[in-house]
Amino acid sequence: MHISAMTKEIRDPAILTPTAEAATGRAEVQRQEALIKTGALQDAIFNSANFSSIATDAQGVIQIFNVGAERMLGYAAADVVNKITPADISDPQEVVARAKALSAELETPITPGFEALVFKASRGIEDIYELTYIRQDGSRFPAVVSVTALRDAQDAIIGYLLIGTDNTARKQVEEEQKVLDQRLRDQQFYTRSLFESNIDALMATDPRGIISDCNRQMEVLTGCTRDELIGSPFKNYFTDQERAEASIKQVLSEKKITNYELTARSRDGKETTVSYNATTFFDRERRLQGVFAAARDITERIALDLVLKQKNAELESANKELEDFAYSVSHDLRAPLRAIDGFSRKVVTGYGERLDEEGRRLVQVVRDNAQRMGHLIDNLLAFSRMGRRELVLQPLDMDAMVASVVEDLRAAEPTRSIEFACAPLPCARGDAPLMRQVWVNLLGNAVKFSRRRASAHIEVGGRTQGGECLYWVKDDGAGFDMQYAGKLFGVFQRLHREDEFEGVGCGLAIVARILQRHHGRIWGEGKPDAGATMHFALPLAPADDQASEART
Amino acid sequence: MMNTKEQELQVLLVEDNPADAEMTMDALRQGRLVNQVQWVKDGAEALELLLGRGDESAAVARRLRLVLLDLRLPRVDGLEVLRALRADERTRRLPVVVLTSSHEEVDVVRAYDLGANSYLVKPVESEAFMAAIIELGLYWMLLNKAPGDTK
Repeated sequence: MHISAMTKEIRDPAILTPTAEAATGRAEVQRQEALIKTGALQDAIFNSANFSSIATDAQGVIQIFNVGAERMLGYAAADVVNKITPADISDPQEVVARAKALSAELETPITPGFEALVFKASRGIEDIYELTYIRQDGSRFPAVVSVTALRDAQDAIIGYLLIGTDNTARKQVEEEQKVLDQRLRDQQFYTRSLFESNIDALMATDPRGIISDCNRQMEVLTGCTRDELIGSPFKNYFTDQERAEASIKQVLSEKKITNYELTARSRDGKETTVSYNATTFFDRERRLQGVFAAARDITERIALDLVLKQKNAELESANKELEDFAYSVSHDLRAPLRAIDGFSRKVVTGYGERLDEEGRRLVQVVRDNAQRMGHLIDNLLAFSRMGRRELVLQPLDMDAMVASVVEDLRAAEPTRSIEFACAPLPCARGDAPLMRQVWVNLLGNAVKFSRRRASAHIEVGGRTQGGECLYWVKDDGAGFDMQYAGKLFGVFQRLHREDEFEGVGCGLAIVARILQRHHGRIWGEGKPDAGATMHFALPLAPADDQASEART
Repeated sequence: MMNTKEQELQVLLVEDNPADAEMTMDALRQGRLVNQVQWVKDGAEALELLLGRGDESAAVARRLRLVLLDLRLPRVDGLEVLRALRADERTRRLPVVVLTSSHEEVDVVRAYDLGANSYLVKPVESEAFMAAIIELGLYWMLLNKAPGDTK
C-alpha cells in the first residue's frame, strides 16, 4: 500500500459515505461541509508540530512521518518512509520487555519488534503506552504513544497510526515530585526517629488526656505496646492517677509544667519514678491539639540523692563525734594543767626565796606555757561547742547586734581611737548568740589587727544579693598575704606571730563553723599592712537546721 | 582524816583530783575563812558521810555550812550526790556549790534543776582559781545567811 492510495481512501467521499446516492439534497450540503472539515483536520494532524504522527503499512513500514515526528525525532520523512518501522526508533530493550509482558498478559507469543508495539491495537484494544524514542542523533526522550489500527472497508487492517507526544516535561515533573516525596518521607523519618530515639518517654495526649502518640521509651516504661497506649487515658499508667490527671489540667491552664514527679507502673508492676515536663501544642491555625509530655526516669537520681543524704548524715555525725571527742579530751586536759600551773605557783610562793632569778624564770616559763595551753583548750572547747549547740533560728536585727558588739569593744579599748562606720545591714535569720559570736570575732579581729594605727578605721556593710544576705567587716590594719588565705579558717591557724598579735588562732575557725551550720559561707581578702576585709553570706531563707539537729 | 573537833567542821569538799583538792584547800585556808575542811574523794564516800545511818551523819550534816561538789566523780557522780542530798530531810537545804571543769550547758542546767545553789567553773590559771575559791568562801561563810543560822 502506498501513501497516495491511503490518502485517497481517506479522502474519497465514496468510502466515507457509501450511500451518497440515497442522501437528500440537504444532507449533501452537510456532507460537503464535513468533507471540507475532514480535510482541514487531516492537514492539522499531519502538520502539527507538537504531535508526532507516524502511519505505517500493515507490516509496520513507515508510510507517513509528519512535521511533528520530524521535529521530535530529528529524521526527515525521506529518511524513514518505506525504510524502517517505529520499532527501529524505539528503545530496543523496552520493546523486548513489552513483548515479554504482552506475551504473558495475552498468553500468546509476541515477537519483540513492531508486533509488540501494535499487537493490542491489532486486536481492537485501545492502546496508549509510554515508550522511549531514540532520535537520529542517538539521544532519547520519553514519549506517550497512542496506537490505532487503520482498516479498509472490509475491516481488514491496512496499517497503523502511532500518535506520540514528547513526555519529557511531564516526566521531569514526576521526577521532581518523586524527589519531593522522598524528601518528605526522609523528613518524616528523621522527625520520627528523633522522637523514637529520645532517652525520655515521650507522649502526646489530646486535651482530655487520651494518648494520641508515644515513643518506644513509653512502651518500655509502661510495658504496653503502642497500639495499647494510643487511645487510652494517660493517667492509667501511673500509681497516683489523680495526680497524673491533675498534671494534664495544670498544663492546660498554665501552658506548661516542669519537673512534675510521678511514679509510673508498668504492666508487670515495676514502678519507675519519673520527672516530667509538658507543654500544650497547637496546629497551624493555633488550635489547641493537646499536651506533649516528656517523662524522665529519675529513679537513679533519687537513689543517688538518698545516698548523698546518708553520706551527709554520716559526715555530720562523724563531725559531731570529733567535736564530742575534742570536748571530752580538752575537758580532761584542763585538770592536769591547773595542777601544773597551781603547783608551779606554789613553788614560787613557798620556795621563791630559795630559788635564784634563773630558777624563778624557769618556773615562770612553765606557768606561762601551762596558761597558754589553757587558752588553747578553752578555744578548742569553744569551737566544739559551736558544733554541738542546738540552733534556735530567729529573725536577727543585725544593726542592733553590731552596735552592741561595737559598744563592748570600745569599752574594752577605752584608750584607742577607732572609727566605726556601720552602714545599714539586711536582717537575716539565725541563732542569736552564735551570730553575735560571729560579729564579736570579726570585729574583735578588726580592732586587734588595726592596733598599730594611730586612728583605726573599721567599716561594716551588707546587702542582699542572689538569695543571700552578704555582710563584710573591713579594717585598715595589719592585713595578710592572700597566699595564706586558705589557712584563715583552720583551727589553731595563725597568720601573725604571737609577739605581734596575741591569740590562739580559733576565732575565724569558730566563725566559719557557725556559718557552716547556718548554711552560709565566709571568705576574706587582704594585703599585708593594707588591711583585711572579711565577707560572710547567709541564705535569705535558710534550710531548717532543726531537722538535721534533731538527733542531737 | 575524820575530824575529831566536831564543832569546827564547816566545809565538805567532794573532789577526786588530789591536785585540785589541795589547791582548793590551800585557797580556803589562805582566805582564813575556813577553820576546817573535810575532803572526800568520791560521791559514795560523800553520801556515806552525810546520809549514812547512825548519829554521826546527822551530827556532820548539822555542823556543815557548805558542800563544794565536783561533778565527774568515780562511783556515784556529783549530780547523783546532789539529787540524794536534796531528797533527804537532813540535807535538803544544805548550800551546795558545784565546782567543776565542765562548761557544758547541760551540766549547768541539770545542776540547777537538782537544786544546786551555785555553779563555778574551775579556772585553769592558778591565780584566777585561788581568787575564785577565796571569794566563794568569803561569800558562803560570811555573807550568806542559811536557815537556822544563829549569827
